[in-house]
Amino acid sequence: MYSRRDLLSRAGKGFGALALGSLLEPPALAGATTARPPHAAPKAKSVIFLFMHGGVSHVDTFDPKPSLRRFDGQPLPGSFGEGLITSRIDFRKALMRGSPWEFHRCGKSGLEISALYPHLSEHADDIAVIRSCHGDAFDHAPAIYLRTSGSQFPGRPSLGAWSVYGLGSENQNLPAFVVMSDGAMKSGAGAYGAGYLPAVYQGTIFRSGQNPVLHLNSPKGVNAEAQRDTLDLIARMNRRHFAEREEDTSLDARIASYELAYRMQSEAPEVVDISKESEATRKLYGIGEQATDDFGRKCLLARRLVERGVRFVQLYCGTNLGDDWDDAHNDLLGSHNKMCRKSDQPIAGLLKDLKSRGLLDSTLVVWSSEFGRTPLAEGKNGRDHHPYGFATWMAGAGIHGGRALGATDEFGLRAVEQRKDVHDMNATILRLLGMDHLRLTYRYQSRDQRLTDVHGEGEFTDWLLSAKA
Amino acid sequence: MITRLLLAGSLALSAATPEQALQILEKNCWSCHAGAVALSGLRLDSRAAALQGGKRGAALLPGKSSSSLLLRAITHADPKLAMPPGARLGDADVAVLREWVDAGAAWPASPARAVAPQWWSFRKPAASPGSIDTFIAAKLREKGLASSPAADRRTLIRRVTFDLHGLAPSESEITAFVNDANPKAYESLVDRLLASPHYGEKWGKHWLDLVRYGDTAGFEQDPYTLYAWRYRDYVIKSFNDDKPYDRFIKEQIAGDELYEDPEAQQGTGYFCVGPNRDMLYKVEDINRVESLTDFVDTTSSVFLGLSVGCARCHDHKYDPISQRDYYRMQAIFAPFQKTRVFLHYNNARGYDLGENTRTFKLYDISAEIGSLKAPYQDRLRQEKLSKLSPEIQAAFTVDENQRTPQQKAFFEAFAKQVAPKEDEILALMTAADKDRLQRAEKRLAGLYNNYAPGPFSPGLTDVGREAPRTYLPAKGVPPPGEEVGPGLLTVLGGKDIPEPPPASATTQRRRALAEWLASADNPLTARVMVNRVWQYHFGRGLVATPSDFGTRGAAPSHPELLDTLAAQFVQNGWSVKTLHRQILLSETYRRSSRPTPQASEKDPENQYLSHFRRRRLDAEEVRDAVLQSAGTLNAKMYGRAVVPALQAEELYGMSQPVSNAWVVTADVREHSRRSIYMISRRNFRMPLLEVFDRPEGVLSCSRRESSTTAPQSLTLLNGEFTLLQARALAEKALTAGDGNVAIAEVFRRVYAREPNADELKTAAEFLDRQSKRLGTPRDAVAELARGLLNTNEFLYLD
Repeated sequence: MYSRRDLLSRAGKGFGALALGSLLEPPALAGATTARPPHAAPKAKSVIFLFMHGGVSHVDTFDPKPSLRRFDGQPLPGSFGEGLITSRIDFRKALMRGSPWEFHRCGKSGLEISALYPHLSEHADDIAVIRSCHGDAFDHAPAIYLRTSGSQFPGRPSLGAWSVYGLGSENQNLPAFVVMSDGAMKSGAGAYGAGYLPAVYQGTIFRSGQNPVLHLNSPKGVNAEAQRDTLDLIARMNRRHFAEREEDTSLDARIASYELAYRMQSEAPEVVDISKESEATRKLYGIGEQATDDFGRKCLLARRLVERGVRFVQLYCGTNLGDDWDDAHNDLLGSHNKMCRKSDQPIAGLLKDLKSRGLLDSTLVVWSSEFGRTPLAEGKNGRDHHPYGFATWMAGAGIHGGRALGATDEFGLRAVEQRKDVHDMNATILRLLGMDHLRLTYRYQSRDQRLTDVHGEGEFTDWLLSAKA
Repeated sequence: MITRLLLAGSLALSAATPEQALQILEKNCWSCHAGAVALSGLRLDSRAAALQGGKRGAALLPGKSSSSLLLRAITHADPKLAMPPGARLGDADVAVLREWVDAGAAWPASPARAVAPQWWSFRKPAASPGSIDTFIAAKLREKGLASSPAADRRTLIRRVTFDLHGLAPSESEITAFVNDANPKAYESLVDRLLASPHYGEKWGKHWLDLVRYGDTAGFEQDPYTLYAWRYRDYVIKSFNDDKPYDRFIKEQIAGDELYEDPEAQQGTGYFCVGPNRDMLYKVEDINRVESLTDFVDTTSSVFLGLSVGCARCHDHKYDPISQRDYYRMQAIFAPFQKTRVFLHYNNARGYDLGENTRTFKLYDISAEIGSLKAPYQDRLRQEKLSKLSPEIQAAFTVDENQRTPQQKAFFEAFAKQVAPKEDEILALMTAADKDRLQRAEKRLAGLYNNYAPGPFSPGLTDVGREAPRTYLPAKGVPPPGEEVGPGLLTVLGGKDIPEPPPASATTQRRRALAEWLASADNPLTARVMVNRVWQYHFGRGLVATPSDFGTRGAAPSHPELLDTLAAQFVQNGWSVKTLHRQILLSETYRRSSRPTPQASEKDPENQYLSHFRRRRLDAEEVRDAVLQSAGTLNAKMYGRAVVPALQAEELYGMSQPVSNAWVVTADVREHSRRSIYMISRRNFRMPLLEVFDRPEGVLSCSRRESSTTAPQSLTLLNGEFTLLQARALAEKALTAGDGNVAIAEVFRRVYAREPNADELKTAAEFLDRQSKRLGTPRDAVAELARGLLNTNEFLYLD
């Protein structure tokens, strides 16, 4: 066994050669993704980030605005809409639209959640809503990049990549940063990329079924025995080659990577095999029900991954080429009914399951979308993109739930109290993971780059962890 | 008594301090705080200026060192004002300055010195006597290291062929070289390789990494940058022609302002092949700022090896680049306008006229086809609907906005079933209608006979002679701040750019920039390029941070060598091929990659090049070499981007429908062309290239990683690409013969060598077992090939 420092000096190939194993790495070459000590005592070991792709209406879910109903069908008063632009509507002309859903006071805390979330409402006391989120990108791709990487422009590392860069992984047999999507992302893979960090930190896509990782299975027509024999041939040739080049650890690392790739073929499917989960557990997530089966499986898988020490799990709900929250452009009612039906029970099930297994305390669950939707109607039945004020929520990691931070204005238009941007949120997430957003840096273009750039002063961990309302 | 002695001591010292103090200031402070640079408004090159101070007030309070800003800064009393950035001054220097200030901060009487840039890379390089080998040898001696012996010829030809072509040498090339008794054998090999067009395909790719080249623009729609590949071809051709590097710079930065020749103007495609949101018109002003930022940042890091990005928001904290300088540079690009370069005027005009007419005809034909089909479609839909229950029918007849949720669900569920299909329509059509339809379709197809890309290349020019104004960002007050004009970096002696002549069609700002960048007097340009070439040959630059020659960059390992190569590069007419020859013919390049035990111990990173640095093939080389081994490589050059077939699971996660975003090239022979011709979408990298560290293509990439990951092994081992190529390889091997003959052929194709007896035995037993399992010898040989393609001997260069 070598220490990290030994390796860095021995390998002589720079960091790249050591950056073995976004998926796996041999113990003797532990490097890029082995667990690393945090800056301070962490509240959470893992993050499950539930990303609602396409834009969820805040005024119909977690930010009740009775005034919208009162003034339904009227334009915004005075200069309220000045200076705001978005994808399709004109803020000066479009009409206010009250929420078609009732809000209820839920749990002991009385946190207000709309009727779209009957299951989640049962966990109102676990979730802390941030009602004063805001951003400045109204188009999907820039807003998605912004929400995770802190920049509207692609090419910067995502939150998951930074987390894994900072903390490594507890499990060398699985990727440290796993992504499960519904397929087509409006942002492409940039949303979970490593940007200028070494590629080893980028998110690895997990799919459902017997082939969770791309190219995991042997090629068609090559059975297990034949595959093993070919791998033995590779190993034999490689050892012969290595015998004359023993000083080069990168050659050794590649030899090991094939063995681990092979082991992965049997081990990864075990993670995605949920057949051994009890009927009750599967039911909890809505698995087996048409509407909830897909996202339920993803949520259950997220728990199984976190249980095995995976650091960061990013789930996307919604896709550019199928059911999406963004269908709310023309059909608020249909889209939000459908997407909530798809995700409400699985998310509630996830919270319940994590809690009952004692995992919620060490897992941070974040729910967010790239932006909210306009309190004004688009056409007759829709709502447009709205980044100027919207809601997210967090649970687990010792957070005191049942509360809401900040507020948007009378009409849910702009965040006005305790305004929180993505940097504040990311600084908070890092701190819950035990990292100081000022100290988590990577030198690129002669600058010590940070996830939060020069921002993040509005970090609100203390509020989340304080017992006061 | 003691006090008196100390006082006397300090008095004695103070006689010498003004000169000493000034030396300390010159050495440590002047690069940012003197002359025209004056970051934060502060100059420390005259007493008056120091007393006046900068934005934070007076730097010196004569007689009061403890409250002087200068002392507070150099003692790091306030962490926010710790100067100079990086290492703190030595205690002795601090003491000198303290005593000097306390003694009144007298300025030396000597005549004012001209402020010369202090940082090594800001001074013009000069050649020293010596060659690559003598400089390297001197350093090795100094470090007490012995060099490794020369590599054998077989190793050398494989190394240099991949290095210059990104491809493996053929078996006959190896044999010829190994047996060549001519003392100039290696020299002719290098010359042959440099003269081959494959050279541009390899070295053009390095350049494309730097200029963040892509065939699409990124973001949600990831739209095609239609003629981007013309710029890619221009780059390949430029390297093959050994276009002088100064000319190459000028064409890219200001080809439109400097040259009539459209071939040269193509260079300005440099500005158009990055990510952009040009097609999102609603945020045109934001996009413009993003483009300007991209132009300034990319241009300064690619050509000057400087990261100026920090100065966008404030004076640079580490390099002598002020915020004003940043915006002076931005003002150079402010009048930009993307355009099309007409590669041939008459053809371009003819193409546009043809498009115009074609579009007019197209409207009419499409309308006719639509109206011919419409009645049949209606009939079919009615018929299909009538077979469904009344509730479902209602869902289709009711107004879209009035549908109940149940009706909506019905509508979605049955929409496909009710939709008329193409063949059903045709079956129903009358002969006369069918005939009309066929004629219309024939006319439609006729419009696209011989349809091909137009004679255009993406390019850049100015909106005119007048530019939009550029302002500094203003803090606390409504924007804009103070207006700034175009200019070149002050620290490098850059001046304001004058107004263009009255008759000029453009502002000629980029022309001024281009000429300044491409000037022999620019201290950075040649150094940066020479260092890049060195890095691509040796895996690591003489400066390890190839796009950062500023004060935070790495110091050069061999400064005299770097400067000598840079000076010679300019003397040799900026010829990149001459530089290659110089490097490749050195003994340093030809050394074995086996380190001496002492080198492994003392210089594990091989900074001093006692031996050659072994490297893994890069992404494109892996794919191209697999095709080459299989004998399927199509060596055709140039042309529009090729979209190879991929498995559905490999295309996962694309932001747009695959039918639009991955339009597989119809001619399958194109699929096995070199990787540089494969489409590079910004939102999606081909998995095989992605796992082998092809960069994302969003920001300039000056040095690729070389990672080793399990996904890499999985993809090369299990991906369909490898399997298909292994089978093709097996076919070829089996035409040579079976058994040991086939085995030898597989070895020759993958390793370019014969198997030894032991390997032959291992392989024969392997084939025996695999044939039994897989049924056919062909599949077994394919397995042998798949295995060898995954080995380190194939993937690494000694």
